[in-house]
Amino acid sequence: MGRCRTAFNAYSVKFSPFFEGRIAVATAQNFGIIGNGKQYVFEVTPHGAIIEVAQYDTLDGLYDCAWSEANENVLVASSGDGSIKVYDTALPPAANPVRSFKEHRHECCSVAWNTSKRDLFLSSSWDDTIKLWTLQAPASLRTFAGHTYCVYHVAWNPQQPEVFLSASGDTTVRVWDLRQPAPTLVLPAHGFEILTADWCKYNDCLLATGSVDKSIKLWDVRVPNRELLMMMGHSYAVRRVLFSPHSESLLLSCSYDMTVKLWDTASPQAAQGLPLRSWDHHTEFAVGIDFSTLREGLIASAGWDESAWVWDQRGFPSL
Amino acid sequence: MESTSSAQGRLSVLAKHICPVPTDVQGLSLQGCSAGDSAAYERRNIADDDVVIVAALRTPLTKARRGGLKDTDAVDLLATVFKAVLDRTGVEPQAIGDIVIGSVLGPSSQRANECRIASFFAGIPETVPVRTVNRQCSSGLQAIADVAAAIRAGFYTIGLAGGVETMSLNPMAWEGGINPRVESFPGAQGCMMPMGVTSENVAAKFGIDRKSQDEFAVRSHRKAAAAKAAGKFKEEIVPVSTKVKDPKTGAETPVIISEDDGVRGSTTMESLGALKPAFKKNGTTTAGNSSQVTDGAAVALMMTRAEARRRGLPVLGVFRSFAAVGVDPSIMGVGPAVAIPEAVARAGLALDDIDVYEINEAFASQASYCIGKLGLDENKVNPNGGAIALGHPLGATGARCTATLLHELRRRGRGARFGVVSMCIGSGMGAAAVFEAGGEVDKFTTAHAVPGQVLLSKDAIV
Repeated sequence: MGRCRTAFNAYSVKFSPFFEGRIAVATAQNFGIIGNGKQYVFEVTPHGAIIEVAQYDTLDGLYDCAWSEANENVLVASSGDGSIKVYDTALPPAANPVRSFKEHRHECCSVAWNTSKRDLFLSSSWDDTIKLWTLQAPASLRTFAGHTYCVYHVAWNPQQPEVFLSASGDTTVRVWDLRQPAPTLVLPAHGFEILTADWCKYNDCLLATGSVDKSIKLWDVRVPNRELLMMMGHSYAVRRVLFSPHSESLLLSCSYDMTVKLWDTASPQAAQGLPLRSWDHHTEFAVGIDFSTLREGLIASAGWDESAWVWDQRGFPSL
Repeated sequence: MESTSSAQGRLSVLAKHICPVPTDVQGLSLQGCSAGDSAAYERRNIADDDVVIVAALRTPLTKARRGGLKDTDAVDLLATVFKAVLDRTGVEPQAIGDIVIGSVLGPSSQRANECRIASFFAGIPETVPVRTVNRQCSSGLQAIADVAAAIRAGFYTIGLAGGVETMSLNPMAWEGGINPRVESFPGAQGCMMPMGVTSENVAAKFGIDRKSQDEFAVRSHRKAAAAKAAGKFKEEIVPVSTKVKDPKTGAETPVIISEDDGVRGSTTMESLGALKPAFKKNGTTTAGNSSQVTDGAAVALMMTRAEARRRGLPVLGVFRSFAAVGVDPSIMGVGPAVAIPEAVARAGLALDDIDVYEINEAFASQASYCIGKLGLDENKVNPNGGAIALGHPLGATGARCTATLLHELRRRGRGARFGVVSMCIGSGMGAAAVFEAGGEVDKFTTAHAVPGQVLLSKDAIV
């Protein structure tokens, strides 16, 4: 538990699927507008000691990172210059980054690793496309075009390894299938840009979307004409939503209103805009969140206030 | 996305997240507004299972043996505040999970029984249990902490905590002999010291002279008198309908007591200077710079935030932390200096974060020592006077200070967020609790909500 201070503004925090307490934090200088980036790997012990395991500098800011599901030391980071850097913490710093995939023509703002087909990962970009990659191949395996504006977030369906969603500023969420040429569903979920979406980990038809209109909506892909639930609790755009790996109804959200909120989508309070918890530990935009899969209840958030916090969802972030 | 200069492009993408332009131009689209309470001062950590206080009330505090409540028993004092707190919140009595009352001097079993009788008087059904707690002067605060802990533990959702003391009817006394082995343990010897002697010990050990003690007492009276004149206690006081017995004739007169009667706003250094030391020859502690012996009761109705929301009750205060610590019994007055930092740390705060302190003024010596030791801003401590002016009904004090504190935090609105209640405890302890202001704005409004209206900020009621 504790707070990891970063030299640059933090954009994303991800728990390692192999090591409890190991987190990767993607950061960008000057709020990601201009400047360099830095990928951190921290180790957070239960007693609050924070050890910096690695730190990698990049030319442009880093907007997201993801751990490999196949190799415990490998992680990827997506950068503002459109490139995706691959890091191996087992190798000396001079050998990093191991690879740099440069195909996107604009900012690459999201990466997601497939938990079942563990050699595949996706990236989404402001060039309106999503690309499928594997570390074994030098170029992308496939490019998914269709969106008409920035694709802010991409997420694999945890139960259907060939299915993923993408959330875009063109106000749609698209559900794609690797076996299909075109999106299987185009969901105009909001009237404004959709910055984030995530699948429910216990119901493969449920997804949540978060938008610039400050709301979070719950959708069933089988009934796409109407949302199941709308949660209006944030006072600025919702930057990230994430379903819990341990509970069907728990959802974490973070927003430009600097709060991180925990929702119980099954509770009547959620529809009234009342979350289970609202944490206001960030003093700048809260832009990254993650649940630990290894330790139930452990969550993390990253903010532009140059910090990534790790705490238990039943309590409050503390030093 | 069209290519533009990279930094400008990124800025414009981000800017559209904050000030969006509707991309679907097929006509006006109405969006529900969720601006809510977006002001920086309104952002706070909230949790559905926070223990909140929805009402905190007290009887007037009157001088023991001479004041208006001198012939009122614990049953009537408690029944009055029980009924008041239930009437004001509209909570049905059968919903209470437990009643915990701090009480010090009353005979243990009898007082516990009196509390149960009081709950019947107040219309609380037999299904609601009652118990007492005794940690000497902190009992009222300990009761609040116990109820908070029980609510947190899930024993029940709604609890009533408070304290009562009838010092007119129950004098301080020690029954039976004193265990002879007490002599061999300095700590045990310290437990047998009269409170005033511990005050002299504190004054001597930390160099607090008679003059500064008297000055402290004058300030306490002045602050209490100003608060009383400004009507600041009106919200927290429940008038007590009782009787007063004439000591000579025995005739009983029905009265309604609604004011604290210990406050002497006209107290001066001269009037205090004339008093003789009460506990030690050539000492510094007098009746004037000690807390008064007083009768009174206070209660707080507590529940989880989710329950308060479900009932539509505004939150008066949020219970944040509690600490009880032990100190040398012979200088028991230093208790708050140890308990306050502990409680504040447990709340994840620093002393600077606390806006108002209610530190029980058992004696001017110990109270001013604690304020000085912690380096507190004097303006934050006991802004409405303390026990030297208002009185110290032992078991009730913790709950009384909590009621005064929470109402003061509410009056200050955005100007105050956290408050502390603390006191020293006879036999060498200290206790402190941190509370957070509820944050609700005025209850009273002539506006009424229009159902289905989702176009305006949550702040607005049309």
